[in-house]
Amino acid sequence: MTDIPLTEPLQPTPLGTTHPDAARSDSFVTLPPGVARIATLVGVAGTIVSTFMSWTYTSAFPGDLTVNGYPGGLQVLTLIGAILTGLVALGAFGVKGLTWLVPNRSPNAVLLLAAGTFATTWYAVIAIAQELGGLANLNPGGFVAAVASLVLLVGTLGLPIDRQPLDPSGAEYYELGRLSENGPARGTYRWLRQARLNHGELPVPDPARAPAWVQYLTIVVVAAAGVKVLTYGLATGYTELFIGYLILVVFTLWAFIAAGLTRQFSKITADHRPFAALMGVVAAVAYPFVQNNEHWANLGVNILIFGTVALGLNIVVGLTGLLDLGYVAFLGVGAYAAALVSGSQYSIWSGVEFPFWAAALTGMAASLVFGVLIGAPTLRLRGDYLAIVTLGFGEIFRIAVNNLDGVSGPKVTNGPNGISQIPDLSVFGYNLGDPHQFGSITLGRFANYYLLMLVITVIVVLVFTRASDSRIGRSWIAIREDETAATAMGINGFRVKLIAFALGASLAGLAGTVSAHVTYSVVPNPYQFSGAAPPNSAFLLAAVVLGGMGTVSGPVLGAALLYIVPEKLGFLQRYELFAFGVTLILIMRFRPEGIIPNRRRKLEFHQDEALLPAQQALGDGTAALGKAGA
Amino acid sequence: MTTTTSTTTEPARTPDGTPLLEASGVIMRFGGLTAVRDVSLTVNSGEIVGLIGPNGAGKTTFFNCLTGLYIPTEGSVTYKGTVLPPKPHLVTKAGVARTFQNIRLFANMTVLENVLVGRHTRTREGLISALIRGPGYHRAEARSRERAMELLEFTGLAAKADHLARNLPYGEQRKLEIARALASEPGLLLLDEPTAGMNPQETRATEELVFAIRDQGIAVLVIEHDMRFIFNLCDRVAVLVQGEKLVEGTSEVVQNDERVVAAYLGEPFEPEAAPATAGSGPAAEPAPEAAEESAEESAEEAAAEPAGEPAEEGAAEPAAETVAEPEEGRDPEPAAESHPEPTPADPDPEAGPGTQEQENDR
Amino acid sequence: MHTLPQQLANGLFLGSMYGLIAIGYTMVYGIVQLINFAHGEIFMTGAFGALTVWNCLPDGMNIWAALPLMLIGGAIVSVLIAVGAERFAYRPLRGAPRLAPLITAIGLSLALQQAIFVWYPGADNAKDFPQLGTHPYHLGSIAIQRNDIFLVAAAVVCMVGLAAFVRTSRTGRAMQATAQDPDTAQLMGIDTNRIIVIAFAIGGLFAAVAGVAFGLKYGQITYNMGFQAGLKAFTAAVLGGIGNIYGAMLGGLVLGIAEACATAYIANIPGMHQLGGQGWANVWAFVLLIVVLLVRPQGLLGERVADRA
Ligand SMILES: Nc1ncnc2c1ncn2[C@@H]1O[C@H](COP(=O)(O)OP(=O)(O)OP(=O)(O)O)[C@@H](O)[C@H]1O
Ligand SMILES: [Mg+2]
Repeated sequence: MTDIPLTEPLQPTPLGTTHPDAARSDSFVTLPPGVARIATLVGVAGTIVSTFMSWTYTSAFPGDLTVNGYPGGLQVLTLIGAILTGLVALGAFGVKGLTWLVPNRSPNAVLLLAAGTFATTWYAVIAIAQELGGLANLNPGGFVAAVASLVLLVGTLGLPIDRQPLDPSGAEYYELGRLSENGPARGTYRWLRQARLNHGELPVPDPARAPAWVQYLTIVVVAAAGVKVLTYGLATGYTELFIGYLILVVFTLWAFIAAGLTRQFSKITADHRPFAALMGVVAAVAYPFVQNNEHWANLGVNILIFGTVALGLNIVVGLTGLLDLGYVAFLGVGAYAAALVSGSQYSIWSGVEFPFWAAALTGMAASLVFGVLIGAPTLRLRGDYLAIVTLGFGEIFRIAVNNLDGVSGPKVTNGPNGISQIPDLSVFGYNLGDPHQFGSITLGRFANYYLLMLVITVIVVLVFTRASDSRIGRSWIAIREDETAATAMGINGFRVKLIAFALGASLAGLAGTVSAHVTYSVVPNPYQFSGAAPPNSAFLLAAVVLGGMGTVSGPVLGAALLYIVPEKLGFLQRYELFAFGVTLILIMRFRPEGIIPNRRRKLEFHQDEALLPAQQALGDGTAALGKAGA
Repeated sequence: MTTTTSTTTEPARTPDGTPLLEASGVIMRFGGLTAVRDVSLTVNSGEIVGLIGPNGAGKTTFFNCLTGLYIPTEGSVTYKGTVLPPKPHLVTKAGVARTFQNIRLFANMTVLENVLVGRHTRTREGLISALIRGPGYHRAEARSRERAMELLEFTGLAAKADHLARNLPYGEQRKLEIARALASEPGLLLLDEPTAGMNPQETRATEELVFAIRDQGIAVLVIEHDMRFIFNLCDRVAVLVQGEKLVEGTSEVVQNDERVVAAYLGEPFEPEAAPATAGSGPAAEPAPEAAEESAEESAEEAAAEPAGEPAEEGAAEPAAETVAEPEEGRDPEPAAESHPEPTPADPDPEAGPGTQEQENDR
Repeated sequence: MHTLPQQLANGLFLGSMYGLIAIGYTMVYGIVQLINFAHGEIFMTGAFGALTVWNCLPDGMNIWAALPLMLIGGAIVSVLIAVGAERFAYRPLRGAPRLAPLITAIGLSLALQQAIFVWYPGADNAKDFPQLGTHPYHLGSIAIQRNDIFLVAAAVVCMVGLAAFVRTSRTGRAMQATAQDPDTAQLMGIDTNRIIVIAFAIGGLFAAVAGVAFGLKYGQITYNMGFQAGLKAFTAAVLGGIGNIYGAMLGGLVLGIAEACATAYIANIPGMHQLGGQGWANVWAFVLLIVVLLVRPQGLLGERVADRA
């Protein structure tokens, strides 16, 4: 008998066997083409008009939707959605001057935007009726909005939609098992599969042909729009508005992907990498100036700390494929180390006060030592053992900091009380604790820390990108892909894994040193496996997985979402962790590559690659995940 | 592609005779099952040696013993006179590279990156230099890419350098494995069923490729079930049956050996009549005892972790120019090339700290 | 109270519980190489299932009479959840890279734990579990709680039953074959899906028994008791040699005894007087794990497995 491969066999994918046009099937709703277009445009116009009308009598519903002639609150979202839909629809219909909005000419983007507008509008209308107790509370404007957006949706459903062809491989049988022999289940499954809209695999013109200034301008505009959209979302004052915002943003981004815009944009950023990175940093620096509010600056710092640690974890999990379930302990080690040398009167070395750079190095070094101590015995073994040992290490850390209080153990950490009254940092004589005046804008304490943390994030991003695209990074990925083959290619698996593990640990330690100062005190509570709020090991892992393994922006985005969504959706509270657990399961099942998949940029504009059948897009999903040990 | 007649004449491509790899008395036991029994084998420089045998004979296991994936229960393996440490990465560093029977590429890396990983032992940029990215780093990286592209040209994959390895067709995946192994600049290449799953044309092309590799001065030890391939290609053939080496000799000797015919070939080998066996089908049934034994792979007891991690990174091997264009439509029976021509050493001063001599001549 | 035999006995009781849970980890791992991270929660739901049965029974019912019913109730809950998890969460990911099912397992673990926290009435606080009576038996100088007798008896019965099942039944042998080499087993006509389901079911059954034993032993159960117990049990499985059912029980016993002794005696070691006591027990358990992995990576009864190339 021949050897049976222990790892997944490589399935060669035929190139360009199915042209996506072959999948361009008809619409969801059968309408004559002209009618569908007219309905779409009428729906857009009606929806726009409705937002200038009053939707309800009373101002009891937040956002004051009573005024005629001036949109407010959720109406603004509907208005934006409708205008975008209109523009993109005209672009898709071939109106000169707007076609650039739909580079691949696919009407899918119109459908998605219409769906977003519809969902936002109907959410608003239903929320009004429900919160105020009945449809009677709706003004004619509300009904107009509902009907117009419905017309819009139906119209776009009548457009010829690009669908993904059915997966020709055995995936169907594989996923359904015996159910695939059963008529209705099979039918439903196929329908669902086909309803998955083609996400931008259609060919688009290469943006590199556009003049350079257009490309630069695009980057600037996108960065500015990004800051604007983000700050708008953060500033939303009530849950209904945030939910409406979330719906609209998700559908709009999805539509941009379906239109091929994101593909073009990622090509532009790839061609002008330094400039794009610079604009990204500028946008991030602008945040505390635009959103000049200590609460949001505090949130910003926390997101940066959490995101930076997630990036460090991404080296370990995403690049090297090692599952570290106690990673937050390294953040804790850094934080405690910094607290001990901060000069706090509760530190056992209360006389010692290191300058920031020395404290940062101390934190990194302490985490590094622990990383090597944990990694050295376990990284020689199979991958799964690492998971359990790191989990154990996380527990040891939690128990130790709780017990090193002088009563049940030696006095180091003051147990549950922690080390408090950590003095503010001072960098180059600039005390981060005091507000500072910049022209008309005052930067408060958290804004200062935000900027400091931003510097550290940039450093970590640099470390991540440079390391991953180098000899050592390639050997990490090789280990992740197939450890046996990697060692047979001359890679010293243990050594390379230890480097990844230690690097990840020390980056977390670095972030920990700042977090100790931001929060004034260091207590054991955040440093556990799971908890109701970030950071904890489960959330860190989720940020990486949710955002996209092996990417830079993925974990940062994941971290931001995991912070902002619970903050904004206060009503979830008791169900938050449950929802979190279910989300993890669903992501692994349906989008294992995370929000930002780790695709190889270079591939994106190969002619034949652009024509890859859907199978590859599906298969790519699990690609980013790698294997924990071979 | 004119490789129809073959083999039966004199063993033309005589090697220069200096032993490169010497395995002596290798025994590999898995619990109660002895997969390799006291096998000794020598590969001389400039030679192509074949290893054949029925399924489950222990060929792959023997390869694994040579490359440090398994630690042989007994016996020793030396390469250029020094004992090979039982660690795969050190074996590769010493100059023995391999491919796998069941293709093991880095599926989600591009073709070029796969080959760059193969360069690992011949470069030494660590984490720090990757972070600082000084001029030395850029030079080394550029050189690695250049070498990798050369190898992709050599194997005919250059056009697909940016494709993900998982998207290559089967035959090209096998070629990529060879390119990746060559990137480590080996003196000896071990190929485990390089034509399994290939059609006859691809098989012939692979034959040419193996000749071209040998002409770079790289010795080749190859496992195959395709007898035509083996007898066309090899200077010497060893037959493994139930873990034991039955015969070793020229193609002629092996083809006519009664025991081999009985145990493996089934009938005297006729080049013209032999079907191009793909992958798993040798011409005859494996000996019944062998089949029974292989079914009972109960207790698995094998290689694992010895303690010390020998200090890595000795002097980096000089990156030498070992690969050139293969000659198209090459004569299958060339005159003896007893001393492979040293190709000119690379002029790049960054290539290696010390010696620039041809590795394969040492 | 602090005599060595007493500590050994305490460790034995604790260890039998770890061993019972560890069997679930080890069987699943042995067959599908998956750390079923949610197994600790399956143990927890078993305890809650049994408690639900107890609450449904008429007041004042004799606990000894109720115990079988509670065991059945807990077992039904645990087995259903374990099998459901396999069918709907893990099976669709079977061909996927290893991290995918592991992360699913973590998600499942959190979801189960929170589901009990949110929806089981009064589970925000510890729930009282019925007791077998408080008077200990005495065996020489050793005091043995009644609960512990149940625990040891349950562990012995389960182990003997499992050993007989694996040795003699067709399914049991098919199981061993699947663990050895799933692909070949499938080729030989074994329905591997069925075998995997059975492994999950047996794991769930044993976890439920352990859950009931836990409730009896400590008198209280909580929604988050599965995390610690699961972690310890997995440690036990690794200690004993993952994939080996006898190893799981042995690992559990070793871990339990080591923990009991560390709690009692570490403080006597000069310089470590502050590191004994219950608070540090888990730390010593993990230190033991790391030491064992260093010295004998395949675990106490494990076999070294070479990756076939
Ligand atoms: N890690 C291992 N543990 C236990 N048995 C093994 C292991 N590796 C190989 N074997 C057994 O050793 C024997 C030889 O296997 P090997 O793969 O070397 O055969 P082969 O000659 O390469 O066969 P094929 O032509 O099918 O590739 C087989 O019976 C196999 O089952
Ligand atoms: Mg083989």
